[in-house]
Amino acid sequence: MITYLYDLVKTPFVLALIKIVILLAVAFTVIAYITLVERRLLGFFQSRLGPNRVGPWGLIQPIADGVKLFIKEDTVPIHSNSLLFRIAPIFTFFPSLVGFGVLTFALPWVTPSSKMHLFALADVDLGILLILSLSSLGIFGLMLGGYASGSKYPYFGGLRACSQMLSYEIPLTLSMITVVMMANSFRLSDIVTAQQKYRLYFFIPLIISFVVYLICMIAETNRTPFDLPEGESEIIGFHTEYSGMRFGFYYVGEYTNVVFLSMLAPALFLGGYDIPFVNDIALWQVHPQLISILGFCSYAIKSVLFAYFYIWVRATFPRYRYDQLLKVGWLVLLPISLVNLFIVAGIKLFLLK
Amino acid sequence: MNNEKPSYLREILETQEIELNMGPQHPATHGVYRAILTLDGERIVGLNSVIGYLHRGIEKWAEYRTYKQATPIFDRLDYLSAVINCHGYVGAVEKLLGVEVPKKAEYIRVICDELQRIASHLIWLGTHALDIGAMSVLFYAVREREPVVDLLEAQLGQRLLYNAYPIGGVRLDFPKGWVEVCRKFLKVLKGKIDDYEELLTGNRIWRQRTIGVGYISKEDAIAWGLSGPTLRASNVYFDVRKSIPYSAYADFDFEIPLGQNGDVYDRYLCRVKEMRQSVRIIEQALDGMPEGELKAKVSPIIRPPVGEAYFTIEGSKGQLGFYIISDGKEKPYRVHIKSPSFINLQGLDVMSKHQLIADMVALIGSIDIVLGEVDR
Repeated sequence: MITYLYDLVKTPFVLALIKIVILLAVAFTVIAYITLVERRLLGFFQSRLGPNRVGPWGLIQPIADGVKLFIKEDTVPIHSNSLLFRIAPIFTFFPSLVGFGVLTFALPWVTPSSKMHLFALADVDLGILLILSLSSLGIFGLMLGGYASGSKYPYFGGLRACSQMLSYEIPLTLSMITVVMMANSFRLSDIVTAQQKYRLYFFIPLIISFVVYLICMIAETNRTPFDLPEGESEIIGFHTEYSGMRFGFYYVGEYTNVVFLSMLAPALFLGGYDIPFVNDIALWQVHPQLISILGFCSYAIKSVLFAYFYIWVRATFPRYRYDQLLKVGWLVLLPISLVNLFIVAGIKLFLLK
Repeated sequence: MNNEKPSYLREILETQEIELNMGPQHPATHGVYRAILTLDGERIVGLNSVIGYLHRGIEKWAEYRTYKQATPIFDRLDYLSAVINCHGYVGAVEKLLGVEVPKKAEYIRVICDELQRIASHLIWLGTHALDIGAMSVLFYAVREREPVVDLLEAQLGQRLLYNAYPIGGVRLDFPKGWVEVCRKFLKVLKGKIDDYEELLTGNRIWRQRTIGVGYISKEDAIAWGLSGPTLRASNVYFDVRKSIPYSAYADFDFEIPLGQNGDVYDRYLCRVKEMRQSVRIIEQALDGMPEGELKAKVSPIIRPPVGEAYFTIEGSKGQLGFYIISDGKEKPYRVHIKSPSFINLQGLDVMSKHQLIADMVALIGSIDIVLGEVDR
């Protein structure tokens, strides 16, 4: 019986299932706790405490929030388009969650029987393209939610969300394309390997792409100063009519996006799971497990830096206005990233043969 | 800025204006103010203000109370600057009675008024910034408001609605050590105001959101009867403290900050500068505090002679006036309040033309209305 189970576990299908479960568990924990970290950090920025009542240092707060959302009444307004209203939150939540499957978190794990396991669910060839298409899918959630609510405030929120995410998707894509050109691959692990090979993180040669990415990743996740679809003091947001766990899906979806984009950024620009100032690959051949774990830690720390950046920006800046936001997107970021794309392409063609 | 839609779009697309109901439960209308907006896209083409959700009949209420009994209710007008409201009413009754308030009492009143003005402006700054999306400023502003409220509590005994002054003067001298604490706080506050300005005044996004938004011309501002910082931002030199000096304001050296363009940014700057001037006034008053009586002799039962009196002061929102008619009995025959928030709110119609919804929020914040005072 036990040997049978052991054999079963070794089949690729079951192995993938186990990976999925672990990945989801870790991702959900991180997403839940980023809400707590954000609130505590905002408290720190704003000279107050933040949630600290539920459990030590407020550590059980995310669970309490979740329970609260689950037991709330789930209302569907009479004037809403009931079917669209019900499925819209799923569109924001799941695409961003699927993105985690493409990320590679560390160098391959070597088992004692010298078998290699990828530290990723699926290291897809066209990883970046997949990520981009998934993030485009996320727009539907906001748009449909705003439209299906059958109410004016969410309608405005949906319109804003739609135009904002469309206009910021383009500079975001263009800045990612430069990275792809430098690394010669759409695969995320290849991009990290390229940075290890050059012994240079891409944020130095591609500083313009990096800055554009930083701005667009905030706009893409609809957070301050680009939180117009929510714009809590103006139009309340596309999720005005939502309650209970349907609202929770939007809420969690936003933080999933935050976590995902702050985990993508290190892979693209900061060398991902590369440990700074160390020749990883050479060391990995000697101590594979140690380097895998250290690499994972290094990746985590880099991601935390980006998540911190999100929260820091939120505590500091006022909100853009709708027309100004579109102006920034189309008249500033798009030309900059286009010119940058051509420059990088030229350098790549003529200097780095 | 050209706000018109391109003509070819008008021809191809059939557009329709929609009505959007903003308030009374909207988070950015600062209370129970309701605006029915007519929108062309996100642009405002019409505004219909609905007020009265907080009407408590304060003016009528006062007719059924003796002059002394009526004092506390006026704290509830603009509940963020209760001391100033009380000063207005008490001043009107004193004018009616012909009572001369002792110099020392006037100085204490000026100090408390200006502290209250700082507290009110701090709340305004925080909420205004929060409306535009800079959430941290609210917490900083409330943090600095706390010592002000503590100081007022030490002097007046309450934290929000003080029932500050009796008719004829003030109740008590400052408690022991109060003056030193106050001086220390003022020193700290100056630095904190610099901090707010660092966060907002030079901030690109803040400037984009406020400069050129909600413009009202000098002529319009006067014609609509605006007052306070909302008027002064349109470059009109009118401040009751200077123009019709009351209490002890004639003794102090301070400036009236003026704006140039009459937009949201100028109103913001005016108020921030006004806080600095308030600090200046308080410091001068603390330095030059005279000795003497705290309260003029007023008979315990107040029966003013038949007649009427109008007393106006510079409230934190603008010119606050009290008009009292006496028929010689213990109760006022009529009390009318010229409340700045109510009158300033009228300017919203002019200011909001062709602005976006997001600007509407900035605008309501910049006028600094308190619905308790609008509806009375």
